[in-house]
Amino acid sequence: MSTQQQQPEEPQSQEAPEDPEMRGAESPVDEKEKQGGDIDQQTTPEDELEGETVHIKVFRYDPEVEGKQEPRFDDFHVPFEKGMTVLDAVMYARDTYDSSLTFRHSCRQAVCGSDAFFVNGKQRLGCKTQIADLEQPIRIEPLPHQEVVKDLVVDMDHFYDQMHTVEPYFQDEDTPNPADLEEQRQSPENREKIKMSSRCIWCGACMSSCNIAAGDNDYLGPAAINKAYKFAMDDREGEEIKEHRLRILEQEHGVWRCQTQFSCTEVCPKDIPLTEHIQELKREAVKKNLKFW
Amino acid sequence: MAERYSSFAPGGTAWLLQRITAAFLVVVLAFHFFLLHFVNHAAEIEFAGTQARMENVGYFLTMVLFLVAGTFHGVNGVYNALINQGLDGTQKKVVLAVLVIASLALIAQGIYVATTMAGWT
Amino acid sequence: MSQSYNRGLIEDFGRWKEFSAGMWAWIFHKFTGWMLIGYLFTHIAVLSSSLTGPEAYTNTIGGLESLFIVRVLEVGLLAVAVFHILNGLRLLMVDLGVGLEAQDKSFYASLVLTAIITVASVPTFLDGVTL
Repeated sequence: MSTQQQQPEEPQSQEAPEDPEMRGAESPVDEKEKQGGDIDQQTTPEDELEGETVHIKVFRYDPEVEGKQEPRFDDFHVPFEKGMTVLDAVMYARDTYDSSLTFRHSCRQAVCGSDAFFVNGKQRLGCKTQIADLEQPIRIEPLPHQEVVKDLVVDMDHFYDQMHTVEPYFQDEDTPNPADLEEQRQSPENREKIKMSSRCIWCGACMSSCNIAAGDNDYLGPAAINKAYKFAMDDREGEEIKEHRLRILEQEHGVWRCQTQFSCTEVCPKDIPLTEHIQELKREAVKKNLKFW
Repeated sequence: MAERYSSFAPGGTAWLLQRITAAFLVVVLAFHFFLLHFVNHAAEIEFAGTQARMENVGYFLTMVLFLVAGTFHGVNGVYNALINQGLDGTQKKVVLAVLVIASLALIAQGIYVATTMAGWT
Repeated sequence: MSQSYNRGLIEDFGRWKEFSAGMWAWIFHKFTGWMLIGYLFTHIAVLSSSLTGPEAYTNTIGGLESLFIVRVLEVGLLAVAVFHILNGLRLLMVDLGVGLEAQDKSFYASLVLTAIITVASVPTFLDGVTL
């Protein structure tokens, strides 16, 4: 956190020029063809688009392009359609006005977890957030507390590292009995217990919202702890491996760092009760240690 | 890796103690405020009254325990706040040492004052 | 990746208007906690006047209590302590896994209760002192 930079309120905002002559008289289509990949003029005047439009302000940064090394916000006006999501809006802006606008996305149905953005001051999944529910202009920024690589793309390495720390895969110390090799059954109750925790899509919204994860880089974070919960609570894993999992979680930068601010629970696009899971693991860890006394 | 972990998990113990002291402090702090601001008006406190209270062994022990629990809860809270901000390495050790020394000094001074109040010195 | 941009503590304090109940509860709890541990040290220091003798103790406390500003600070201390107690109870419930879905409401409840108790205590705390 040595190069902390204060976020400018409106860094060199690319507002549409007031003077009508400066806007150019061409239609939006002509404008697009003329400009091509020019990144300096993405603004489309609102009155040139027919029907209802959505005003979005998108965070721009690119260390490799001279004009974008200082972060700024670009304004786009995209035509509104019923059921339009934030992801739809930025995709329209990219496809129509500025092909250099960069963001991750893939499945468009809240499964791949690629498009978590900071929308109007909250971590949300772009494809799961309705434009109609948001106040305009809609500010779309990359996830906070992660380094920005380009535009809305953040460096997820640290998040993935924390996820891998908790060994997020099924393991068993003993080779199963040959009779059980075909399938390892789970009781419906146990499945129900870990149901919510298994919904995680690794989008990183929770980690980004966590005030403690922002300050303490070693903190495992809500997503990793939830992932550990999924396996620790799974009855198909033995007691020994559960203990091993708890040992990872009960380190100084494990579950104890959670301050129950509920930020992660509130932003989780899959409605996982993250705080509840972390709290349960704290109690499990305490119980395990009390047994030794 | 096994030797890095032991059955004694300092994080968990501190967390549990923080909660146990919290439960105790909730009751005693409320009692303390009530006794010394509502039952006895703070402005009318005189040494004689203080001594009369402190002479009671039960009250004396409660106050000592109150001090110890309060100091632990408060200082551990401060320490955790700093860890949450990413305090690490030598700095962390120094802060911990300073906090422990300050706590011990506070508790020692507090117990000394309380015995004086009770008139046992 | 040649370079990346660190947006630093964006959200942490500049966006306080967007903080949720749980975040505010945490900020208040930390703040009141710092006040209380600070006061504990001061408190023991003031009470240490009893080491000099009974009169010194009585005079020190009487002298401090005769100051209007001290009385106001005491009301503040009460508010801080009451909030810390009530929100502390809320946090104990959260730790026990009870009523997590109502954690925001219980935070507002502790704020309101703190306000009521503080206001109700003002006459007692300011009794017999003038500006």
